Amino acid sequence: MATAAAKPEVFSRKASGLSRVMSPWSAFMYNFLTMGVIFPWTIVWAPAAFPGVSVWRASLFAILLELPIALAYVWMATAMPRSGGDYVFQSRVLGGAIGFPVVMSGFVIWILQWVALAGWLLANLGVSPLFMGLGVHYENQSLIDVAIWCQSQRGIVVISIVGAAAMALLLVTGFKNYVRLQYFMFAGTGILMVILLVQFLRTTPAEFAAAMNHFSNVVDGRVDYYNWIQKDVADAGIDLLPKFALGATLLAVPIVWTSLQWATYSVQQGGEIKGARVFKNQMFIIVGSLIAMGLSLALLAWAQERAVGTAFFNAVSNSYYYLITASGDGIGSVRPLPGMLAIVISPNPIIVILVAVSFMLASLQITCNCYIGMTRVMVGMSLDRTLPAWFSKVNPRFRSPANAHLIYFLLGCVTIVGYNYWLSWYKLTLGVTFACGYVFVISCLAAALLPYRAKALYEASPGARYTLGGIPLVTVFGVIGFLGGTAALIAYLWNVGYGLRGESPYWGYIVVAGVFLICLVGYWIGRAYNKGKGIDVNYAFLEVPPE
Amino acid sequence: MGLFSKKGGSVEKRMRIFFATDVHGSQRTYRKFINGAKFYKVDHLVMGGDIEGKFLVPIIDEGGGHHRVTLQEELSHLNGPDELQAVKERIETLGFYHVTVSEDEIREMQADQGLVDEAFKREAHRRLEEWIALADERLAGTDIMCYVTGGNDDPQELIDVLEAADSEHVVNCEGRIVTLDETFPMANCGFSNPTPWDTPRETDEESLAKHLEEAVQGIDDFTSAIFNFHVPPYDSTLDDCPKLDWSTDPPSPIVIGGVAQSAPAGSHAVRDAVERYQPLLQLCGHIHEARGLVKVKRTTVVNPGSEYGEGVLRGCILTLEPGKIVGYQMTSG
Repeated sequence: MATAAAKPEVFSRKASGLSRVMSPWSAFMYNFLTMGVIFPWTIVWAPAAFPGVSVWRASLFAILLELPIALAYVWMATAMPRSGGDYVFQSRVLGGAIGFPVVMSGFVIWILQWVALAGWLLANLGVSPLFMGLGVHYENQSLIDVAIWCQSQRGIVVISIVGAAAMALLLVTGFKNYVRLQYFMFAGTGILMVILLVQFLRTTPAEFAAAMNHFSNVVDGRVDYYNWIQKDVADAGIDLLPKFALGATLLAVPIVWTSLQWATYSVQQGGEIKGARVFKNQMFIIVGSLIAMGLSLALLAWAQERAVGTAFFNAVSNSYYYLITASGDGIGSVRPLPGMLAIVISPNPIIVILVAVSFMLASLQITCNCYIGMTRVMVGMSLDRTLPAWFSKVNPRFRSPANAHLIYFLLGCVTIVGYNYWLSWYKLTLGVTFACGYVFVISCLAAALLPYRAKALYEASPGARYTLGGIPLVTVFGVIGFLGGTAALIAYLWNVGYGLRGESPYWGYIVVAGVFLICLVGYWIGRAYNKGKGIDVNYAFLEVPPE
Repeated sequence: MGLFSKKGGSVEKRMRIFFATDVHGSQRTYRKFINGAKFYKVDHLVMGGDIEGKFLVPIIDEGGGHHRVTLQEELSHLNGPDELQAVKERIETLGFYHVTVSEDEIREMQADQGLVDEAFKREAHRRLEEWIALADERLAGTDIMCYVTGGNDDPQELIDVLEAADSEHVVNCEGRIVTLDETFPMANCGFSNPTPWDTPRETDEESLAKHLEEAVQGIDDFTSAIFNFHVPPYDSTLDDCPKLDWSTDPPSPIVIGGVAQSAPAGSHAVRDAVERYQPLLQLCGHIHEARGLVKVKRTTVVNPGSEYGEGVLRGCILTLEPGKIVGYQMTSG
């Protein structure tokens, strides 16, 4: 069947209809921002976890890992353009007994970890650098002390809870308020990217060394910090200039995936996107945002390593993330995160405020994304009766699912405290990537099976016409995405570098499996409870045969 | 007996209904609706209006077994009967009507709105007649009734087709009271308050209030009553939708300071009627995006939403006992 653009030959009549308010451009930005601020993790973690890694190359490889997954989501999003995303895809194709525990555990519960991580980012990338940068510029010890407090356990917890509460309040009182703030978040992330790039591209390692030494001297009273930290780590037996290793670079890909796997997050709001059923729109929103952010991250990683020097890049990663120190003095108070280093290069008040405020906005954007996406999933589950009706109650005054927001905020507070005060929990930082990863992988499986298990739905979708050798393309991309994502998940389970595989009694495995099992058991209990009320939960997922 | 079932509870008067609305001509969605009776094991089906489709898609015969069609803003050239049939099925799933025309006929239709209206009417009536026949075929041998009312998008001529049908299972209940299982009186009204689309059966609030008042006349006891009113009550959250600019065609969302505005679009008259009579249940639709269930005083109000364009049957299964809603479940079949 050949296709081409032409003047429409269709007649319409006067009839009421559905209006969607989110433009494809807004959805693109939504995905871009969701991926955006997470990248410091990669840069500070990967060099120590996998010696010989090329972070910028790993970022490019991560695009390749995510690409088939993103394409599978394009098909799913055009076939089922409604809010609820992965939960809808999985429950409608694979059934509620799979869709509910997978999405409830991997997303709704594990994304609570993102609420904690967003608070950590807010404190360490936004609030602390603001005070530290200003403190160094004005040589004001009180401001520096405040910055150091912001990095403390108590400081992070307080900042995280305040941020989470503010965003919950903002969203409960109406989505419109959030949309207003979102424009500033868009602008903030754009400004941030530009500043970081400009700062790193215009700086040589020698210039950076001088700036770093001055900054560290003011903050911690250290002398020649740039060379000292390299010696401190090297003396502990770490090779600071390892040869490029392809294997290490490939192993770092799942860490970059922590960021790029969110290229598909807009599908949680599929019901609100204009033209969500149009193929090219979803390609732009999902695949376009993936490529744009993947290239941005690769460029930033390359620029930062070039500016600070590879040996320093590797030294601070080992010192900060794995606490490697020959002298016992360690990394000190200046955290080697990209925003902080950009401030170190030139701590004038304008740069400090722009970088810090932009990171604050970007961190708060993550908190908002957690609330927005997960409360929608919970409301969807509640309407399906897999969660109690209480979750989907809409507050008549604010016209938002206030109960779902409230419970998510309260559980988020518990996670924030646990994450910052319990080391075992902190070590599970990338457990959330693993858990969210299995949601994406199962969604890929759903995509692969879409033409066979939801035939009618598939045949009515615009992607149904694309095949490869008689095999639906969605199946091809679904299978490739499933295999690639599964490989990343196996890496998480197998390699200690990601933090999930600890020592006996293997808390990481126990926690991940335990959360999933609790959700599975909860599903069956809820199913039995509803049956007593004449409700068969399966009806929520089963497609009525049209023939 | 289920794990959480109550022991010894009487279920003599219990009734299960499946409610869906706003199918807008979608062949696949309607077929699912009818099949839903047995699939969901319900006693009766209730259709809440807006059954007529919105688009007429001409399939242009280019000769030699070749056709072309514009669907969802994309032009396709069809080669052979298989591709033609596949496109027809896709058009029907989307809730559109199709007519096969020659190059001359399409030019005439483009020049004469009367021809378009006539084709619309013919195809809409034909599809409704097919639907009624399908319901009788699929529900044959059961006591299941399918209660249908119109919506604001359905012109009176379409309701007349429904009324004129000689059906064993399909009941036109527009503007009248029907009693389900001799226990649950159901008042029906498909009119709406004004919309930006200037649809066939919309009217001002005052006039709508009169329609509603007439619709409930004859019900003395509202304890077990059902209102099958197409429009949700004003400001019930089941009527939230984007605020639209009525001066554009089609109406477009109003955006202020980069923020799309939303507003309640339900009816004050419906809200007044519900609050005054407080029936057991109000079934509504109209606002496709505002799926949900809320309480307005004693009354449970349900809007199952609609995704007819995707061939998805949004609905709600309700289990009722006299004066009581035992359970409900939103479905997405």
